[in-house]
Amino acid sequence: MKTTIPVAVAFVAGVVLVVSFFFDEGTWVGGISQEFKIWMTIVGGFTILLGAVSITRVNWSAVQRKKEGWPYKLLTLISIFVMAIPSVLPNTWSPLFGRDVGSIYDWLFTYLDSPMMATMFATLAFYIASAAYRAFRARTAESTVLLVTATVVMLWRVPMGEAFLNMFPGDIPNWLNTYVMNGANLAVQRGIIIGAALGAASMSLRIILGIERTYMGKG
Amino acid sequence: MSFWDKMQNMDRRWVYLMVAVAVIIPFFATPDLPISITPEAQMLYDAVEAVPDSSTVFVVFDYYPSTIAECEPMAISALRHFYRKDCKVITLSNIPLGGPSMAERVTREIALEYDKVYGEDFVNLGYKANYVAVMSGMGTSIESIFPADNSGTPLSELPMMDSVVNYDQVAFIFEIADNATADYWVSIVNAQYGIPIGCGTTAVSAPKYYAFVGAGQFVGLLGGMKGAAEYELLIGHSGSAVLGMGAQSLVHLLIIFLVIVGNLGFFLGRRGKSGEIS
Repeated sequence: MKTTIPVAVAFVAGVVLVVSFFFDEGTWVGGISQEFKIWMTIVGGFTILLGAVSITRVNWSAVQRKKEGWPYKLLTLISIFVMAIPSVLPNTWSPLFGRDVGSIYDWLFTYLDSPMMATMFATLAFYIASAAYRAFRARTAESTVLLVTATVVMLWRVPMGEAFLNMFPGDIPNWLNTYVMNGANLAVQRGIIIGAALGAASMSLRIILGIERTYMGKG
Repeated sequence: MSFWDKMQNMDRRWVYLMVAVAVIIPFFATPDLPISITPEAQMLYDAVEAVPDSSTVFVVFDYYPSTIAECEPMAISALRHFYRKDCKVITLSNIPLGGPSMAERVTREIALEYDKVYGEDFVNLGYKANYVAVMSGMGTSIESIFPADNSGTPLSELPMMDSVVNYDQVAFIFEIADNATADYWVSIVNAQYGIPIGCGTTAVSAPKYYAFVGAGQFVGLLGGMKGAAEYELLIGHSGSAVLGMGAQSLVHLLIIFLVIVGNLGFFLGRRGKSGEIS
């Protein structure tokens, strides 16, 4: 039963959504499909709840046992609940509740969460500069092509670099846009996208037909 | 140890210091840089211009706060462009971490400039889990997927939503993303419902989306802060992206300089060593 029911659910859900693609929205197949999509958003919401419960259990257990780094885990728990609880309370009780502008959640998000995430991402600039200096070497013909292409594209993507490229004859920025970005890059990206889509389609088919069962923790 | 060997082993903190200086200086001495408009940004601007005035459009905040520097200027410019055309703007997000909050804040800020009223001129649907179902389900009924807006107000109580049932009433989708949700707007919404979609994305994601522009699935593309700066210039309202071009220019040039120095050190140092051995 533990295997049969999930496989049956996956099969029915998958087949209905695939078949409904060929039917009008007003038909009964379209109606069932829409009902399934609403269910999917509800199930998706429960997966977030499951994540919250899981992260609470794992971190609370570490705090109770005073494992290494437990103060950070305690901070994680405090952060989760300080943001989550006021955001789920109705804003009819107080303007501080809910997720509107001016609420506790919004204040924490705007002035703490958002700047911290942006700062973490911005530190990449330092690491990229350091890594480029140490590791970006023209050791082979392929790496030389990559290095030269990356350098001219980086120049082209900023005003100072573009002004520099325009000092040379033959509209280099336009050439880069036409032949590098809309030429070689486009062709390669298209190949990757089509390959990934074929892979996703075959994996979906395997799940619908019950061949692929790793999502249930089975091989 | 030769000069080039010393350069090879330079403490990385010197590199960090150079990057910090390159980022900070342009904010004090703002250079007047000519910013050219790429064909993809021009196409997007023209496509938005071609949207009939007072149409209903989507502006989708599919980016995390980490990429706010690149993506938010795009959102601000898109909103200014649509509000100027008196379009009715519906915002939503497929990103649970902050997307609806950023949409709420930015949309309301820009709405003040154009005297737009919430519920009549713009609505924030917020976030719903499972973006594939969300995008697909809105094709039949937006209200069945989002019964209420981000604040919990039922859509039936928002006058603007009276005339909006599904994608049939949506003239344009402006997707701003730093992740793969943009792919699904193409494969689900553009491919199945034929809604024109314009995309603004981070510089690192932009190369992938040239394929969608080439296929006509995106009507235009803004790549990174440069793309945002181009759109700011196109709508005639310079903002943080144009301001950021100075810092980005200097850092790009610094990285190129470091790559050249690193390679010179690598080859000259190696030649020196092979000379010593012989």
